[in-house]
Amino acid sequence: MSIISVSGLSKYFKVFKHHRGGLGAIRNLFSRQHSIVRAVDDISFEIEPGELVGYIGPNGAGKSTTIKMLTGLLVPTSGELLVNDLIPWKERQTYVARVGAVFGQRTTLWWDLPVIESLNLLQHIYKIPKENFEANLEEFHETLELGPFLDTPVRALSLGQRMRADLCAALLHNPDLLFLDEPTIGLDVVAKERIRQFIQKINHERNTTVILTTHDLSDVEKLCQRVMIIDQGKLLFDGELSRLKDKFGGQRELVVDFSEEYRTYEIAGATITAQTDLQVTYAFERGMITASELIGRLSAKYRIRDLEVREPEIEETVRRIYEERLLE
Amino acid sequence: MRLFWQLTKTSFQRHLTYRTAALAGLMTNFFFGILRAAIFVALYDLQTEVEGITLEGAITYAALGQAMIGYLSLFSWFELMNTIYTGDIASDLLKPMNYFGFWMAQDLGRAAVNFALRGVTVMIGYAFIFDLVWPRGVTRIFAVAVSLLLSWLISFSWRFLINLFSFWTPNARGILRFFFVLSWFFSGFLMPLRFFPQWVISISYLMPFPHMFNTVIEIYLGVLKGPEIILALFHQVLWVLGLILAGQLVLRLGIRRLVILGG
Ligand SMILES: Nc1ncnc2c1ncn2[C@@H]1O[C@H](COP(=O)(O)OP(=O)(O)OP(=O)(O)O)[C@@H](O)[C@H]1O
Ligand SMILES: [Mg+2]
Repeated sequence: MSIISVSGLSKYFKVFKHHRGGLGAIRNLFSRQHSIVRAVDDISFEIEPGELVGYIGPNGAGKSTTIKMLTGLLVPTSGELLVNDLIPWKERQTYVARVGAVFGQRTTLWWDLPVIESLNLLQHIYKIPKENFEANLEEFHETLELGPFLDTPVRALSLGQRMRADLCAALLHNPDLLFLDEPTIGLDVVAKERIRQFIQKINHERNTTVILTTHDLSDVEKLCQRVMIIDQGKLLFDGELSRLKDKFGGQRELVVDFSEEYRTYEIAGATITAQTDLQVTYAFERGMITASELIGRLSAKYRIRDLEVREPEIEETVRRIYEERLLE
Repeated sequence: MRLFWQLTKTSFQRHLTYRTAALAGLMTNFFFGILRAAIFVALYDLQTEVEGITLEGAITYAALGQAMIGYLSLFSWFELMNTIYTGDIASDLLKPMNYFGFWMAQDLGRAAVNFALRGVTVMIGYAFIFDLVWPRGVTRIFAVAVSLLLSWLISFSWRFLINLFSFWTPNARGILRFFFVLSWFFSGFLMPLRFFPQWVISISYLMPFPHMFNTVIEIYLGVLKGPEIILALFHQVLWVLGLILAGQLVLRLGIRRLVILGG
């Protein structure tokens, strides 16, 4: 039983011609001149409970628009969308009680209230039982290290602190689903790592279904088994990360440290791309030869001290997909 | 309901922190009130009563008007509109709460702070300078209190409603300004409605504005008596209900075409 079920979902925006000035405001009310932007264009997918899915794509691909529809903030232009057995926008109030969302670009907390007061208000808003609220707060206090800034107004928080506070706020009511739109945007390496670990923990321990968008592919590599790629509103890929690499990864590399010097290091099935002293880097095509075959051939011919297989960087893979439109 | 009071309390505390702004508002309101009182003194000249309102009554009217500017947010209110234009409305819609109630609770907090900090102080200040009329008798004081509360309810529901224009146009600010100016005139805030010809009064009573301002003043000054008060309060209640209903309907239409910016 899928927790999210999307079929033929589209969102088109009408971009109206803008009239300026006082009278312009009145004219804008009646003006019909517009062009159409297909932000999300006929996408379909299913997500099972407990999955942690990465949703990636270049700028303007339609990621945020999808997340906004999934969270009930936007009404789709067409198509079907069922989450937690509800139509998000139609039954908004019931629906949002069971989901959490963090938008990296903005806070869902009250700007001029201390963090702890915002969290207390949320207890009332979500009608969280006292014990649950306190247990969760205690846990998040620890894992997200909220301590130093619980009494600071949200507007005075650093980006990383705000993101942690927002994550805490999104999870206090034990949602079934967590939507994260660029939760690591603008954070330093340490802060990113901390947030990733937290997301993983929540997903593992609470079986919370998580969908996250990001431009940082290490987020996806470290967290997600499944990845969806969207570009220009179209879903280009939906499947396991490893399959993406297999399919579009292109050349893999084998780095070999030899025990002694040889006249030539040539081997059938691979080409030498770099050589320093006793270390040689081979490139080989996926599908042409497997890593173990290649290693077999090498060790039959040479004495090897050490070796390492290098997968192509996911970053590189995805960049190629975006740029060369490999999936079309 | 717990949530409602919690939100009211939070908003109350937040507005208390804007004390300097409240003080500046207070000084302006106070100063212009004196100007308006002076105009009445000149206008009345030797007349003791105009349209059932004495000079003291007219000065009290001016004082009450100045005292209610903050409480009813008579000059402007763009808070909801701003959240639509910044996209912050997303945070509010992501929470399982009634959107109208959410804003109402917060506006109640705002109104309460303004009532205390700007309303009561303005009246006390004028009491030192002028002979003001005070409502007499428990019933009248009670009627004034009820009417004052209803005034706020009308004012809020109306402000909520017109802010929803921003779902349809990216520059609703001008439209809202226009409505606010309209309200100054037809609510009787600029001049007591009684001073106008009957047809102006008739037109204005087709709008919510007199019910939001003129009614409470007339009850306070004793211009309305006995059953007239009951009828006036009843009309206020009808307007509250009508405006809330309209707000809900328009909100439902608006949310369907909501476009949340950013991200
Ligand atoms: N309210 C709107 N009105 C008109 N066009 C819009 C609106 N919101 C989004 N768009 C357009 O829809 C497309 C998708 O936008 P969206 O915000 O979903 O992209 P995104 O994948 O989140 O990009 P980014 O990675 O830059 O955040 C873009 O071309 C954008 O310009
Ligand atoms: Mg985005």
